Amino acid sequence: MLTLILVIFLGGAILTWLGRKINPLLGDLLFLVSVILPATMFVMNIKVGDTIAQHTLLGIDLVWGLSPLAHLFSLVVVGLGVMLSIYSISYMRGKEKVGMYYFSFILSIMAMLGILVSRDWISFFIFWEIMTWSSYLMVILNGKKVQSIGIKYFVFSALGAYSMLMALVIINSQLGSFMLSDTFNNFQHLSPANQILIPVLLLVAFGVKSAVMPLHIWAPDAYSNSPMGYTAVFSGALSKMGVYGLVLVIISMTTQLPAGSLIRIIVAWLGGFTAAAATLWAITQDDGKKLLAWSSIGQLGYIVTGVAIGTPLAMLAAMFLVVVHALFKGSLFMAVGAIEKQTGTTDFKEVNGLIRKMPVTFISSLLSIIALAGIPPLAGFVSKWMLYEALIQNHNYLLVVLLFFASTAAFLYAYKFLHGYFLGQEEPEWAHVKEAPMSMTIPMLLLALTTFVLGTWPQLLFNSIDSAMQYLGYDATNGKLWTDSVLFSQWGDKVALQPVLYAIIAVFLFFAIFLYFKGRKATRYVTTKDISTSGEIPKEWENLTFKVNFMQPFERAIEPFLKRQIEKYYLGFGKGMEALFDFTRRIYTGNGQTYAIYAIVFLALLLIFRVSLFG
Amino acid sequence: MVGTPVLFIAIPLLAAFLIPLLGMIWKESVRIVPGLVLMYLMVLAVSLMGHVAHNGPIIEIIAGWAPPIGINLVFNAFTGFLVTLIIFMGLLVWLYSYRFKSNVEYEPARKYFILLMMLVTGSTGVVLTGDIFNLFVFIEITSISAYALTAFYTGRDSAEASFKYVMMGSLASTMLLIAIMLIYSQLGTLNMADVASKIHLMDPTLKAISFILFVVALGVEAEIFPLNGWAPDAYAEAPGPVGAAFAGIVVKAMLYALIRFTYTIFDLSGAFNLLIIIGLLTLVIAEVAAIRQDKLKRMLAYSSIGQMGLVMVAFGIGTREGVFAALFIMLNHAIIKPLLFFSGSYLVYHSKKKYISDIDGMGKLAPFTSLLFALGAFAIVGLPPFAGFWSKLSFLVAAADNDMVLIIALILAVSIVEIVYYMRVVNRIFFFKRTTGLLARRPTFNAYIVMSVLGIIVLMIGFFPDTVTGYIQAAADSLFDKTQYIHSVLTASIQ
Repeated sequence: MLTLILVIFLGGAILTWLGRKINPLLGDLLFLVSVILPATMFVMNIKVGDTIAQHTLLGIDLVWGLSPLAHLFSLVVVGLGVMLSIYSISYMRGKEKVGMYYFSFILSIMAMLGILVSRDWISFFIFWEIMTWSSYLMVILNGKKVQSIGIKYFVFSALGAYSMLMALVIINSQLGSFMLSDTFNNFQHLSPANQILIPVLLLVAFGVKSAVMPLHIWAPDAYSNSPMGYTAVFSGALSKMGVYGLVLVIISMTTQLPAGSLIRIIVAWLGGFTAAAATLWAITQDDGKKLLAWSSIGQLGYIVTGVAIGTPLAMLAAMFLVVVHALFKGSLFMAVGAIEKQTGTTDFKEVNGLIRKMPVTFISSLLSIIALAGIPPLAGFVSKWMLYEALIQNHNYLLVVLLFFASTAAFLYAYKFLHGYFLGQEEPEWAHVKEAPMSMTIPMLLLALTTFVLGTWPQLLFNSIDSAMQYLGYDATNGKLWTDSVLFSQWGDKVALQPVLYAIIAVFLFFAIFLYFKGRKATRYVTTKDISTSGEIPKEWENLTFKVNFMQPFERAIEPFLKRQIEKYYLGFGKGMEALFDFTRRIYTGNGQTYAIYAIVFLALLLIFRVSLFG
Repeated sequence: MVGTPVLFIAIPLLAAFLIPLLGMIWKESVRIVPGLVLMYLMVLAVSLMGHVAHNGPIIEIIAGWAPPIGINLVFNAFTGFLVTLIIFMGLLVWLYSYRFKSNVEYEPARKYFILLMMLVTGSTGVVLTGDIFNLFVFIEITSISAYALTAFYTGRDSAEASFKYVMMGSLASTMLLIAIMLIYSQLGTLNMADVASKIHLMDPTLKAISFILFVVALGVEAEIFPLNGWAPDAYAEAPGPVGAAFAGIVVKAMLYALIRFTYTIFDLSGAFNLLIIIGLLTLVIAEVAAIRQDKLKRMLAYSSIGQMGLVMVAFGIGTREGVFAALFIMLNHAIIKPLLFFSGSYLVYHSKKKYISDIDGMGKLAPFTSLLFALGAFAIVGLPPFAGFWSKLSFLVAAADNDMVLIIALILAVSIVEIVYYMRVVNRIFFFKRTTGLLARRPTFNAYIVMSVLGIIVLMIGFFPDTVTGYIQAAADSLFDKTQYIHSVLTASIQ
C-alpha cells in the first residue's frame, strides 16, 4: 500500500509534467489529483505500526513503516501539502515553468513522506536527497540569481547529505545493519570515537536542513527565492525534516553518551542564538518574503532549543511548535504570495493599505501574526509558554533570557509585517487591487483558524505528541504529559488563562466595533501625497511611505552586530577555494614537454620510494 | 554457442580492412558494415556470458600451441563483463554517429569507421588476451587508432592535441616494453597465468621496478594523474562521439590491464596502497581542475578522469566489495559519461568555441537533449534515485568496512566540488536567459535513440540496481579468484 502511494506520487509527478505540456488545465487537474489522492490514501490507510513495506535493493533491506513520531510529522506534511496544492493552482496561473513547479512540488511531498516512513538509513537517505534536489529546482525556479543562491543551497545540502552518508556507512560497517532501530539500540556497541563522530555528523546533516547557525546561510535566500506557494511547504514542512532528524539523533543517541549533555547544551545554545540573531535580521528586512524567511529560521531556533533541552515539557513544547509553526508560517507565506500575485511586489515600501482591498488575507495574516508573536489565545502562545517553563524548570536561565529577548524583538517584525502591507495610507497606485481568488484565501484562512483552534483546545495534538514521545523512550504518562506545565487544566483540554483572556478579547472587540461604527462617517482616507497636513509639496517620485527607514534607530543600534555576517566568512572561504582550484588547474599547462617531464618525474619518484611502497 | 572469443578480435579487424574495399562498391556500406559487425559481436558477447555463467570460463588457444607457449584468450565473467560493455558502447557510438560527416565528402566517414573498428579490436583484445606481449600489441593498436581519431578534424588544435597524445603514448610504449623485457628475462615466459604462478621466483627489486614501469605506462593510457596531461586536450579536440568512445571504451580497457597486473600477475602487497594514492591524487586534481573549466567538453573530460581515479581507489581497497564497487562505478560511468558527451555536444553544436556559457537557456530550445543532459548530470554526481547513487553507495560501504574514514571524507568533499560544477551547467541550461543568438541543433533520429536508451538504462539501474549487480558480482568474484584463473589457463588443452 505504502509502495503504491509513493508510486502514485512519482507517476503523478511525471504525468502532471507531461499533462501540462498538452493542456494547462489537464496539468492543473492531474496535479491536484496526484497530491490529494495519495495524501488521502496515506492518511486513511497507513497506520502506525512496525513494518508496512519491505524491498531489497543491492542486498540492502529497505524497510518502510510509520512510527508515532513520524506520524506526527506526516500530519504536517500532508496537511500543508494538500492546502498548498490547492493554493498553488491559482498562484502559479500565468507564470513560467509551471510544469516544473508541479513536478518538484509533488516529488518533494513524496520525498518528505518517504523520509518519515523510512525505517532504515538507506531509504532515509534516498528520500532525503530526492527532497533536496526537488526543492533545489524550486529555489532556482524563477531564474533570479540562480548561480549564487542555488549553488549555495545545494552546497550546504550536499554538505549535510554527505555527512549523513558518511555517518551511515560507518554505522553499517560497525553494526552491520542500516536499520534505524539497530543504530539506536546498539549505539553502545560503537567504538568511543564513533560514538562522538556519528552524532556530530548527523547533527551537521540535520542542522543544515533545520537552518541552525552557523549552517543557516542558505536559508534566507532559498526561502525567499522559491515561489511562495512552495516556500510555505519549504519552511513549514521541509525544514521540519531536519527537526525530525535532530529529534532522532539527540533523543535516541546523545542520551546514551556521557558527553551527550554537553552536545545538547551546545545545540540548545546554537538554537537560542539562531532564534535571537534571525529575529534581529528579520526586523531589518524591507521585503515580506525575506522577513518571513528570517523569521522561519528564528522559529526553528526555538524548536531546536526545545529538542536539545529534551525534558518532557521541552519536547512537548518543541513538537507543538513544529505543528503550529507549519500552520502560521504556511498561512503567512500564502498571504505574501497572494499579495505578490495581486500587486506584483512584496516590498513594504511600495505596497500600502491593503486592509480594505484584501480583507481575508488581512484576517488570516493577523491571526497568524498573533500566533507567531506568541500572544494568547492562539497556539503560538501555548508552545512558547511551555518552552520557557521547561527552560526555567531546567535552570537554563540565561537561555530563557536570550529566547525572551528574541520573542520580544519578534513583535517588531510582526508589527512591521502587518502594518507594512495592510495598514497605512492607501495609494492610488493600488486602487485596482482586489482580493485573491477563493482557492488562495481559503487554505490561508483555514490554516490560520487552525492555530486558533489549537490554542484553545491544545489537547487535539497532545495525544499524538504523547505517543510520539513514548516511542522516543519518555516515560509513559497515561496521557498526563501536560501536567508538567502550569498552563493547562488537569486534563490538558484547556489553557488555564483562557476565561480571563476571552473576557479581555470580548471587551476589545466590543470597543473596536463601537469605534468602527462611531467613526465610520468621519473617516477620511488619505494618500501619502495628500498635503493637507503639511506645508511642503512632495515631489512625484518621493517615497513618502512611512516604512522608509522604518526601523532606523533600531538598525543603528544593532549595526555592530549585523556587520558580523557569517556569510562573509563562507564567501571568503569559497573564494579562497576557487583561487586554490585555479592554481591547481595550472598543473595542466597545455604544454606537451611539461607533461612528459611529469611522467618521468613520476616514474623516478616511484622508483625512489619503491622500497617504502613495496617493502 | 554462436562463436568463440577470437571473433571479437578477428571480425572487427577484418571489417576494418574490408570497409574501404566495400566502400568502392557501395558507399553506404561504409556506415552499415560496422554496425552489423558490432551487432553480431553484441549477440556473441551476451550468449558467451550466458555460457560462462553456467560452464565456467572459456579459454581459447590460438594457433594450436597450448599455454604457456602459445597465445590464449580468456573469456570469463570478468573479461566477459568488460567486453560486453565495450561492444555495447561501440554499438551506441556507431549508432549515434551513423550519419557522421554524411553531409561532406565520403573520405572522412570511411576513415572514421575504420578507426572505430580498430579501436574496438584493440580494446577487446586488451581485455581478452592472456599474454603480456600480445597485450602490448593490442594496446598499440588501440592507442594508434586513438591518436588518429584525436587528430580527426585536421586543424591546428587537433593536431597539437594528437601530438601530445602520441608523445605520451610512445613514452608509455617504451616503458611497457622495458617492463615486459624485465619479466621475460627473469621468468622466460610471457603468458599471464604462467607469469602469475612463477612471480614469486622473480628478484624482488626487479619485480618492483617492472611493476612500477607497468603502472606508469598503463597510467598514461588510463589517464592517471600526473600522466594524463594529454587527455583533456584529446577529449576536447576529438569529435563528440570519439570523446564518448574514449571514456567508455579505451580507458576501460587500459584500466583493465592495470588491474590485471595488480590483482592477478603481481603479488606485491603495497600495490593496493599505490592504487589508492594515485587514485586519490587523480580524483582530487581532476575534479578541482574541472570546476575551473569554461569549455563543456573539457569539463566532461576532467570529470571523466576524476571518475577513473575513484575507480582506482575502489580497486585499491582490495576487497571483494571494493572490486564490486569499482566495477559498478565503471559500468555507470560507461553509461552516463557517453550520455553527457552525446547530449552535451548537441547543446554546444553551433558554438564555435564550445564555451559553457553558450548553452544558457538551451532548455527552451532543445528540451529533450537538455533533459537528458540534466539526467546524466544528476546521475553522475550520485543523486538518488539515479544510477550513480548505487555505485557511490557501494563504494562508500566498501571503504567504511575497511575503516578508511578520512578517505571517505575526502571523496565526499570532492563530490561537493563535482556537484557544484555540474549544477552550474544544469542551471545555465534551464534557468538562464538565452544570451547568444545560437540556434539549437536538432539531434538526428539515431542520436535520439541512443540518448534515450542511455537515459532509460540510467533510470533502470537507479530504480532496479539488482538487474545488473548479478553480473558485476560474478565479475568481481572471477577477478578475485586468482588460482582458478591460473589453473584454468594452464590446464587448457586444444579442443
